[in-house]
Formats: sequence, structure tokens, C-alpha cells
Amino acid sequence: MGKAYYEFFCPVKVIAGHKALEHVPFELSALQAKRPLVITDKGVVAVGLLNHIHAAFDGAEAEIQGVFDDVPPDSSLQTVREAAAMYRHHNCDAIIAVGGGSVIDTCKAVNILVSEGGDDLWRFSGAHNLKRPLKPLFVIPTTAGTGSETTMVAVISDTDKGVKVPFTSYFLMPTAAVLDPRMTLTLPPHITAMTAMDAMTHAIEAFTCLGANPISDAYATGAIRKISENLLKVMDNPSDADARLELAQASTMAGIAFSNAMVGLVHSLGHATGAVCHLPHGLCMNLYLPYVLEYNKDVNGDRIAELLLPLAGADIYAATPKAQRVDRTIETIRQMRDALFDRCKLPRTLLETGKVREDQLELIADLAINDGSIVFNPKEADREELLGVLRLAWA
Amino acid sequence: MFDKAKPEAERLFVGLMMGVVGRGLVATSISDETVRKELTVFPAGYIFQMMVMPKGPSFTTEVQADHSLKLLKNFQGKPDLCVRFKHMAHAFLVLSFQEGTARAFANDRMFVDGEVSHAIRLVRCLSRMEVLILPKLVAERAVKRYPTIDLGVKINLAARIYGRVAANFLKGA
Repeated sequence: MGKAYYEFFCPVKVIAGHKALEHVPFELSALQAKRPLVITDKGVVAVGLLNHIHAAFDGAEAEIQGVFDDVPPDSSLQTVREAAAMYRHHNCDAIIAVGGGSVIDTCKAVNILVSEGGDDLWRFSGAHNLKRPLKPLFVIPTTAGTGSETTMVAVISDTDKGVKVPFTSYFLMPTAAVLDPRMTLTLPPHITAMTAMDAMTHAIEAFTCLGANPISDAYATGAIRKISENLLKVMDNPSDADARLELAQASTMAGIAFSNAMVGLVHSLGHATGAVCHLPHGLCMNLYLPYVLEYNKDVNGDRIAELLLPLAGADIYAATPKAQRVDRTIETIRQMRDALFDRCKLPRTLLETGKVREDQLELIADLAINDGSIVFNPKEADREELLGVLRLAWA
Repeated sequence: MFDKAKPEAERLFVGLMMGVVGRGLVATSISDETVRKELTVFPAGYIFQMMVMPKGPSFTTEVQADHSLKLLKNFQGKPDLCVRFKHMAHAFLVLSFQEGTARAFANDRMFVDGEVSHAIRLVRCLSRMEVLILPKLVAERAVKRYPTIDLGVKINLAARIYGRVAANFLKGA
């Protein structure tokens, strides 16, 4: 039976390919924007990625008015206010985000302030509290993993109150996502690996959890195929621009899939582990993915089994009896993790991270059981069952 | 021609069930240790609301100092957490147990305004209440997994919850 009801929404224009950055000035002018502010972080500046942006604007009608490069890994309301002040000081009319998840979330929040006025972000926090379109926001991701360039969510820390402030609105979705392989060419191997496994998890959970729908399925399986076919190519040859572009597209496709179908227990455990042990999100996804699929398979094994085709290819799918496909799918993911471990020592277990203590598992389970993504997991999971998954992922 | 009878019947049913669920949640918070334990993280005065957009049936509860819930009448302020059904027909699907709470979230029938982790706790409280007060065949449709529960315990708790709900309706609270 088909899905009883679903929604799918993605108004983000995707500008992808070689020399994609050079399309940005035209796209801005088509929106009557000529004075963009670039918002980024020190790391992006240090590796020289902004040179590509400046070169793309050389001789264009639109002119970059300023660069705000003070976005920290965990952005704050103060950072947002400072960036908004720079936008106003230079009388800008558009925002260009150059970076990963924190930069993109910061830009979404800056866009609220510069479009709505004032410095009080709290009044727009929560769900659907924006009532009109914001300024043009172009996102140029420098990692291939978060998918934030296609989501309607931003999370910013209020460091005074010690809480994270969530924002959800259709109007937060960027105007365009610009995928240019030059922006990910210099990513170190372990970051390439963990961000790709983040995207892989977005796609797999979008496909296997309760919110899956026919259109998100198409994006999810497309993303899985691209990652399966290109991740190890990039690991073996980091300057392979074509394969880098495939990974960047896969990340965006996975972002479109999960922003419409949501994610499940891998993310619940990953968010909790990140909070307790301060491990990178993509690494957590790599840790938990096969164990959660094992846990879920008695409820949604048929869906997991379908993923063998994009993961392993038509020959292996056809040669594997139907009843064995679910286990073969999980085994294929384990093999991919082993291959990444061989190449960049990306940990496969909590013990291998060297940063998690066994006595922290209970706290991780306590946080994971209240994570928002757990409601979309196809199989109910109580605290003891979460601890069971965590113990399997331990070593 | 548009038949008004069905939406009107749905509205009446949803209005009635909002009253039952709100009172049921309050009664369960008093009678059931599991639900009270879930509520211990909420500060006294924390306000939770479930409503149908734009101004349809709703119930509002407030966490008390002993971690039980109290029903608020005619609440006009902004709750700390609100679960909003997008349409009366969606609320009808959920409150008539044709669509489980988790499935309804996945199907975009409703959304959360507030701290999502708090919403997850309250969804568990609602699920626990449904398991306690509904026959197994019906409750299985409302929750992801029907838990192992001793029939004697279930009947005992259900009787206490129904008793409190009935008394509350009679008092007109």
C-alpha cells in the first residue's frame, strides 16, 4: 500500500557543477540583489576558499560588501547580532553563506534579523513564527554532509541562558544551494569520510523511517548510490573533482530527502553522544548506523533490504536472495566503514573513538530517548533497548 | 453540494475527545507512577496545550508542584509547549485512533511549537494513558508498540483514571 499522506517541499534552487560559483553574480542580479555580505568562519578563510568567491565576482555587477568570518563551531545569538550589524552597516541586500552547518544556521538567523528588523531573535523562535519571505540567501557548502542548505531549520545558542534556540519556518529555506567541487577539494580525508557518512545516514534514515514518501525515496536512493560509488574514489584520490562533485550533490539530495522525511534513532543516539562526549556529528552517524539498522530490521527489514540496490549495485542485488538482502545491506555498510577505517581510521565503535567512557552510556541513553527524531523511528525503543544498542556499538 | 454534517460531527467528536484526553492525562498523572516520573523534569507552572488550528477545540494543562497535571480553563496566554493539529480532520484521525501519534507526526498532521524533547515526553505520557484506558485492540492502533502490562494492573489503573475523568466532567471542570 502507498503512503496514506505525505508532503514534499523544496524551493531551494540547486546550482551545481564545475564553475558553479561563477553563476552566483547572475543569480543575485536576477533577484535585484547587488550588495551581498559573505558570512563564513576562520577555517574557510585560512584555507583560501574565499579566493574562489572573490574571483567569481570579479567584473560582475554585484559586489561583495564585506566578509564576516567570526562564526564559531556552535553559533550564538551574539554572533548573529554582530553579523546582522555588519550587514546593516554596509547596507547589504543579500547573504552568501560559505561554510558548514554552523555558518549556514547563523546565516538563516541573520536573515531573520536583517529582514524583520531589530535584534530580538527570541520572538521568532519556535515553529512557523515567520510570516513573510526573507532576503536572498545563497549557501555555498564547504563540507558534503549536513544538508543544511536545503532545510527550514536553524539552531542558535543563547549563551546567557544556556539553551539552544530552535527556529523552524518555510521562509528560512535558502534561495539557492551552490555546489562547486572547488569548495570541498581541500577537505581532509577524515572529515570527508565522516561528513559523507552523515549524508549517507540522512538518506538511509529518510528511506527507512516513518516519514518516508515516494519523492523523498527518490532523492534518498539517488544520494546513497552517489555516495557508494564515489566516497572511496575520493578517499583514494582527494583531488578527483568529479567524484567530489558527486558527493556534494549526494549531500544536498540527502538533505532534501531528510528535510521532508525526517530521521530516526541513529540521529537520536548521535545527538545525545555529541552532547555528552563532544564527538563530531558525522562520526556518531558512522558509529551507530549498522547497529540501529540491526535493531530496526524486524520492523522495517523490507525497506532496509531495498537499499542493497543503490548501496551495492544491480549485480549483487540480483544475486542475493530476497530473504538475505536486509543482512547483506547492513553488511555492505559495515564493509564501507571498514574501508574508511583502513584509509583514515574513522572509528567504528565507541571504544575506537578513545573519547567515550563506558559509564557515559546511561547518560547518552537518557538524552537519546527524549530526542525529537526518536518519534520517527519505525520501532519503539525504551531506555533499556537504547542501552542495548549502545553496548553493541561499544566495541 | 457540500455536506456540512460530516465536518460538524467531526468537530463535535474532536471537542469531546479533547476533553476526554485532557482530563485523562490529568487523571493519569495522579494515578500512574510512570507518567508522574516523566513529568518530574517539568517545572511547576509549565503549561502544555494541545489544540486544533486555527481556533478549534483544545485542552491546556499546568504542571503542579507534586508533578501532577491540572486542567486550565479558558487559558489565553502562550503555553510553554503546544502541539497543533493543522486541521479538524487530522485531529479526528488521531483522536479516533485511526492514526497513531508518531505516524501523525510523520504524516505532518500536526507540529510542535516549543521544546521538542518536552514534546517527546508528553507523547510518551499520552501513549501510556492510551495503553491504560483503551482496550488492547484499539490501543495497538494508537501506539507504535503495545507494551507488556499485567491485565490486573491495567484494569485497576484504568478504573481509577476513568473515575477521575467522570468526576471531573460532572464537576464541569
